[in-house]
Amino acid sequence: MEAAEEVKLEKKAKKQSPWSIARRKLWHNKLAMISLTFLVVITAMAYMAPWITGYDPGRVDIMSRNLQPGEGHLLGTDSSGRDIWTLLMYGARTSLTIGFVATFAVIMIATVIGSTAGYFGGWVDSVLMRFTDFVMNFPFLVFVIVLASIFRDAGIWALIIVLSVLSWTGAARVVRSKVMSEKENEYVMAATSIGGTPFKVIRKHILPNVMTTIIVQATLLLAVMIVAETALSFLGFGVPSGTPSWGNMMTEARDPNVIRTQWWVWIPPGLAITFTILSINFIGEGIKDAFNPRSAR
Amino acid sequence: MSSQDTLLEVKNLHTGFNIDGRVHHAVKDVSFSVKPKEVVCIVGESGCGKSVMSLSVMNLLPKHNGKIDKGEILFEGRDLAPLSEKEMNAIRGKDISMIFQEPMTALNPVLTIGYQLDEVLINHTTISKEEIRRKSVSLLKQVGISRADQIVNEYPHQLSGGMRQRVMIAIAIACQPKLLIADEPTTALDVTVQAQILELIGKIQEEVGMAVLLITHDLGVVAEMADRVVVMYAGQVVEETDVDRLFYEPKHPYTKALLESIPKMDEKRDVLNTIEGIVPSLKNMPEKGCRFVDRCPAAMDVCREMDPILGETDKGHAVRCFLYEESFPQSSDKRAEVQ
Repeated sequence: MEAAEEVKLEKKAKKQSPWSIARRKLWHNKLAMISLTFLVVITAMAYMAPWITGYDPGRVDIMSRNLQPGEGHLLGTDSSGRDIWTLLMYGARTSLTIGFVATFAVIMIATVIGSTAGYFGGWVDSVLMRFTDFVMNFPFLVFVIVLASIFRDAGIWALIIVLSVLSWTGAARVVRSKVMSEKENEYVMAATSIGGTPFKVIRKHILPNVMTTIIVQATLLLAVMIVAETALSFLGFGVPSGTPSWGNMMTEARDPNVIRTQWWVWIPPGLAITFTILSINFIGEGIKDAFNPRSAR
Repeated sequence: MSSQDTLLEVKNLHTGFNIDGRVHHAVKDVSFSVKPKEVVCIVGESGCGKSVMSLSVMNLLPKHNGKIDKGEILFEGRDLAPLSEKEMNAIRGKDISMIFQEPMTALNPVLTIGYQLDEVLINHTTISKEEIRRKSVSLLKQVGISRADQIVNEYPHQLSGGMRQRVMIAIAIACQPKLLIADEPTTALDVTVQAQILELIGKIQEEVGMAVLLITHDLGVVAEMADRVVVMYAGQVVEETDVDRLFYEPKHPYTKALLESIPKMDEKRDVLNTIEGIVPSLKNMPEKGCRFVDRCPAAMDVCREMDPILGETDKGHAVRCFLYEESFPQSSDKRAEVQ
């Protein structure tokens, strides 16, 4: 082994991985970077809410109902006297938690099912894809409403589980088709030809190549999940009404009086939702662009 | 022949593809053997079943429709055909390894060269990570890559085609296999690089002491590398002999035609020699008779009526053609008739 001893391991060689190229492109994409900054700030404020505001989001204050924005209450109060600014931040915490956790769960399920079906093909593929079709054909809203009412006591976790279980189908199909086209590449056969097990070939060789698709799917799903939470809560079937969330805040706007006279109750959560979704979509587009070898940016 | 002096013995191999419910044989009744440290070339046009044959040996046929129907693939006396995926994985990359045609796609674009080299050692050895990486770097040096310690951290797209093929060779020889299958390893490369790669394979073959099964359609490569040659046509072996006799006394009309298709340096001509027609496709394979008959300049009536067998005319020289009486089945009265 004398020859091997001379071999020095160079750790700091200049890396030109597809990842670093994409990172550089993303860095130069202004819109995506502004959006990312916005999302990071929102997320930080959401999880540091207790240190930013002195109010308790659950405290009902009869004395200060329906106050206009002004001193003491930056964005005024709602019909129960709760501070809107405080609700907005605690609501962000709920909405973003649901969004992030549900997206993570969905991507996990979709990746496992999609890559298994795509790689093995044959009857495995048929069984998994028919199961996917089956889940896809559940009437989403009805199912969520029924499950959410059954598991009411479980709080936001019931909603997260229900959303995850019902939303993975589209992403699984995308992953499957991408894996199917990727496995035809010769490097997959080469990886098998050096004694790689199917699990290892999928994990180490195919998934890194499919990762860009998965990341883009995840960003778009994050937006979808936040919207789903909002919509369901607005309808009264999402987050329990005691828990602050952007959707629950919008529920107040069902009262025509509020819409007409108390803009500070519904415009802040509305804008928060809009800008968050918009920024997530810009980030998704940015990532898609960054991984596209044909885009010059 | 005992299993001692044969490394790989393929016996009556039939590999079929299931197309629209019918099984079509891309490899039909192929037998040949490879001795340790021997370079055997498999020659033939595109579509002759050369690649399918090599994939059968590695058990890498497309799962959904490719299948070994009949026959044995004896590697050191052990039949590979019925082995499970798990048993096969222990052999792939360790005892038998493979180099592919297209170095551009045979390396994973998102993993570093080093990682892909390490992987084969991780699969088959138990040495430490640090040690594996050292081995990888010295393997790269062995295949003639300078700056090996930097290349391990680079990605395939940063290397040229020739370098990538060198990396593929490094991966293939990492565990010092007994048999290397090279499926047209130089087809995708420049002519100058081709020569270097062939030279490298030859050099490594001597260093490691492995046998090489080289699949090619380039007779120049055969002349350079081979000890023995197997000529395939339409899924069958039509001639098998050593390299000298192939070039100096070819027997089968197909082999002769192949040799005549090579342009010669001392001959001035406008149109190159070709073999008229094409290899019959899998679905249009003739049911009976010699498969080369439609393109054969020496075709006879008997060629359409019965199947020639691979018969040994001289020691170590076998041919499948009715021009030689050894190709008639033993119990045939046609033999006398034609003679």
